[in-house]
Amino acid sequence: MSDFPTFRTFGAQTVLLDWPAQIDLEIHKKVLTFSRLIRLSFAEDILDVVPTYHSVAIYLKKTTALNHFLQKLEITVLNFSEEDVNHPKIISVPVCYEEPFALDLAEVAKTIGLTIPKLIELHTTPLYKVYFLGFLPGFPYLGGLDKALHVQRRKEPRPMIERGSVGIGGGQTGIYPKDSPGGWNIIGKTPLQWFDVTKDQPTEINPGDFIKFEPITKTEFDLLCIEMESGTFQWRKEEYHD
Amino acid sequence: MIRFLASGLYTSLQDLGRFGYRNLGVPVSGAMDLRSATRANLLVGNEPQLAVMELTASGPVLEFEIPAVIAVCGASFTPELNGNEITMNRPIEIPAGGVLSFGRPSKGLRAYLAVQGGFISEKILGSSSFYNGITSRSHFAKGDVIRFNGDTQGFLSLPSSELEGAVHFETSEIVAFRGPEFNELPNSIQLLLNGEAFTVAPNSNRMACFLNHSEAISAKEIVTAPVQPGTVQLTPSGKIIVLMRDAQTTGGYARILQLTDSALNILAQKRTGMSVYFKIIDPLSDIRV
Repeated sequence: MSDFPTFRTFGAQTVLLDWPAQIDLEIHKKVLTFSRLIRLSFAEDILDVVPTYHSVAIYLKKTTALNHFLQKLEITVLNFSEEDVNHPKIISVPVCYEEPFALDLAEVAKTIGLTIPKLIELHTTPLYKVYFLGFLPGFPYLGGLDKALHVQRRKEPRPMIERGSVGIGGGQTGIYPKDSPGGWNIIGKTPLQWFDVTKDQPTEINPGDFIKFEPITKTEFDLLCIEMESGTFQWRKEEYHD
Repeated sequence: MIRFLASGLYTSLQDLGRFGYRNLGVPVSGAMDLRSATRANLLVGNEPQLAVMELTASGPVLEFEIPAVIAVCGASFTPELNGNEITMNRPIEIPAGGVLSFGRPSKGLRAYLAVQGGFISEKILGSSSFYNGITSRSHFAKGDVIRFNGDTQGFLSLPSSELEGAVHFETSEIVAFRGPEFNELPNSIQLLLNGEAFTVAPNSNRMACFLNHSEAISAKEIVTAPVQPGTVQLTPSGKIIVLMRDAQTTGGYARILQLTDSALNILAQKRTGMSVYFKIIDPLSDIRV
């Protein structure tokens, strides 16, 4: 596999860096390494740098000349010697898998032939990789869902799913960062306020981090809601080591 | 202070957009037709980055409690002050107690109202642009009030030829670059995209403009990757979706074209049933639109 990405334009003021189109941990590591490199090297030229699974979009300021930027970018990228600059964290995410939050838990368990406790165990065991944020503000694209939990999306999407709801659909699991329509099977809810626009850093979750779901009771859920509202809540994070 | 006696179909505040947070999944937002929005600001002597009021399809009824200088640019909404028609595309003095209302636009879909001194509005993540879930509201409702900075600075007069903007509203040409997945399309679809007519479908909004067509065309889904305002997506079921200012930041449909900024402004003024065609250009050529 090639270490270096291909470059191409995506409109007048955007450059795409692409690796082979796969969901792959090694490719994704390069995506994040190069995203960081570009952010640090070209702060004056760029508006946004958006990493995804295998591709990075570099959105340039109107005042940045595309041709000139491509030349600078090529030199920087080709002279880059890879070092591991990502320092991922494991972020603990409490989830209540009880009523009234677990709208589809019983039905999903039946469909995939598992008991409810076994389903919860399989959902809370993995470390889920945060590949990137997209779809909705703060929505994490997570990798690592157990194959036994792969299940079709709901035939009829719900018009409104509450903020914090945790769902599974296809090969994915995720958290709704705000109230929105959605077609995932809802199996629980986190009391964490996932995306707080009043803060300069609206989310604690960064691409490359890991999420670990921790089952909690309804009583614990209510207590954590109070902690979130009063601002006393402390996010639980630890360093991740390969 | 300005009071909404009626809200209009979808009236919001928009500026040039919210930048620096797309990596967190936050859409850019901003005025759908940045050209007209910027003109409205310039006419009353404002900096172009100040928020303006975006009107869509049917305008609000606004009561001014204090005097103001305003300008309305974009779709021809036939604005009226206390029941008398006023001119668009020039600074207008509104007296205290003045009531501003709007007809249905005879040309275009969206208009922009700038007030001299600028609206006073919460700035969230660096922008005043309304977006559901980021700002506290997504559009204005009847009874809402909005304040503005009343300081007068004397206004600017743009040459009238620049203001008429006949081409902006009448052209059906949407200039675009090839998108990342364009070259993977079969030749027949590539040819069709360069010049064939498409029709603006109902349900188009600030997130996306849907285009109808009679040909059976489609493209495979892709591994989710970056998208931006102006990205044209083609779905496996054959839908053509042009992402607009409130578009999400990543997507899983083939990105077949990317509109120029100017083309995005033009498309923002097209109404349901109107016909458009794409003209494909090369990004590294000298064409800067």
